[in-house]
Amino acid sequence: MKIKYLHIFVFTLFFHWAYSQEKKDNFSLQFKIKYENESLIQNKKYISLSKDTLQFETFRFYVSNLKFILNDNSEIVEDNSYHLIDIDEPSSQLISISKKSNKQIKRVVFSLGIDSTASVSGALSGDLDPTKGMYWAWQSGYINFKIEGKSSSCKTRNNAFQFHVGGYLKPNYAIRTIELNTKNSNFEVVIDLAQLFNQIKLSEINSIMIPGSKASDIADKAKLMFSISEFSPNEK
Amino acid sequence: MKSKNKFIILIGCVLVFSLAFTFLRPTPIYFQIPKGWPKPNYDFSKNPLTEEGFQLGRKLFYDPILSKDSTISCASCHLQATGFTHVDHSLSHGIDGKIGTRNSMTMMNLAWSKTFMWDGGVNHLDVQPLNPITSSVEMNETLANVVQKLQKSDKYKSLFFAAFGDENITGQRVLKALSQYELMLVSSNSKYDKVIRKEAVFTEQERNGYQLFKNNCASCHTEPLFTNGKYENNGIPLDTTLNDIGRQRITEKSEDNLKFKVPTLRNIQFTNPYMHDGRFKKLTEVIKHYNSIEKNKNLPKQLQSSMNLTDNERVDLIAFLLTLTDTEFLFDKRFSYPR
Repeated sequence: MKIKYLHIFVFTLFFHWAYSQEKKDNFSLQFKIKYENESLIQNKKYISLSKDTLQFETFRFYVSNLKFILNDNSEIVEDNSYHLIDIDEPSSQLISISKKSNKQIKRVVFSLGIDSTASVSGALSGDLDPTKGMYWAWQSGYINFKIEGKSSSCKTRNNAFQFHVGGYLKPNYAIRTIELNTKNSNFEVVIDLAQLFNQIKLSEINSIMIPGSKASDIADKAKLMFSISEFSPNEK
Repeated sequence: MKSKNKFIILIGCVLVFSLAFTFLRPTPIYFQIPKGWPKPNYDFSKNPLTEEGFQLGRKLFYDPILSKDSTISCASCHLQATGFTHVDHSLSHGIDGKIGTRNSMTMMNLAWSKTFMWDGGVNHLDVQPLNPITSSVEMNETLANVVQKLQKSDKYKSLFFAAFGDENITGQRVLKALSQYELMLVSSNSKYDKVIRKEAVFTEQERNGYQLFKNNCASCHTEPLFTNGKYENNGIPLDTTLNDIGRQRITEKSEDNLKFKVPTLRNIQFTNPYMHDGRFKKLTEVIKHYNSIEKNKNLPKQLQSSMNLTDNERVDLIAFLLTLTDTEFLFDKRFSYPR
């Protein structure tokens, strides 16, 4: 008789576990690439506050070491957390991670770029595979973010600008930590390219291909691109 | 009774499956560290050597599919019989006959290297091939394209299956297979090695040369690898047609101006021409350079005074350097073009 009850108990536990898994386990973090308030459209002409015309062709960046800080200050840390977010690949703009808690997220923390450990670990797989075109050849290390396009302000071949920003060694360490607070569980991360290009003049700087002080400076300015946009659940 | 039979069948199936997987698993290679050598720098746990991985890497090394127009392979500039360098070319040439700015490096004992290239810009053996593959004067290709081309080949699909357990061809696997081949290029059987192991004896001239070597060269060309793995200014003046500043390009530090990797001296008999730009055709010219080096404040302390060797001593020193030739390595069939 006792054994029979035990069975029921175990089954109840199992169903409870399975159900709660489904309910809580997956949290999707959406990245929205924008220019000012609208979704960024590739090759559309924008104008920055510095009066530069801008047409974007390529925009790719690494999000790594992603973690969520919850209301009770506990943390959800994603293991092996390396994501390449690419404007050409909408599926890359949604990161799904398991969140085994009902508590509300109050802060999102991640690195813009790839840490030095991964940068010295040879050939890696997945989003870190060198076929992604985000690994430098003649000077090892990952490109943390890549922005390429055209501007009439650039007196370069095809009026091109290209920012390949990276560097894992001091003093040219170009990885930046992004910390974003939210009051609402329903949020997405907005990356507004205007916030970077409003700070620079393309006639003065339009090409970065190596680690160095210029790359570090652009990395500092790139931090401003990131913000949180909260919405009510039925908006989505 | 019925359930017992089922159980036996189940166990049987599991056994058959696991046996099948045992036979399909690649054959491990044990990497032998020559006696008295330091611990290798390469982390083999991240890329365990297997016969199938090595053979795949060997095939890739000799296959011009790595270049944009399928004309250039790694072996175009790295020939086994000359210590895996480009003999007779001061500067190596690549795709469309374009000429680079440096003399291709030798390839041996790479498991002990911490950094790669003449300027040390590459921090890991796995990612070194990205340089020649993407260089516009070498192979002018992208790794992504290489992977796409390989994916179309049934031959490569089966080779990747044998090496990695499935047909997936990725950039990581291409690079790891190349590393496996390159890691196996160990040269440790020269006359010098045999003398150290007490299997052979130096002639008097060689012994004298060895003493001169220890007094004058060994502080940078450290035994047993014959390099300390560092970057130094060796006193050869800047070639103003190339303006190659060496390690400074990587570190952006003025103290690294004109510093280049201290290369190994193993198999030096066949690795001519010498120096990063191949400016010396003969070993005698190299010795002459160090023998009467011009003083300059940028030289490392090891080169502050010139060697001042007599003519006879210089001949002895060269006699010793020739004992670093490892014929077994230079003609090892396991490293040659796969047939």
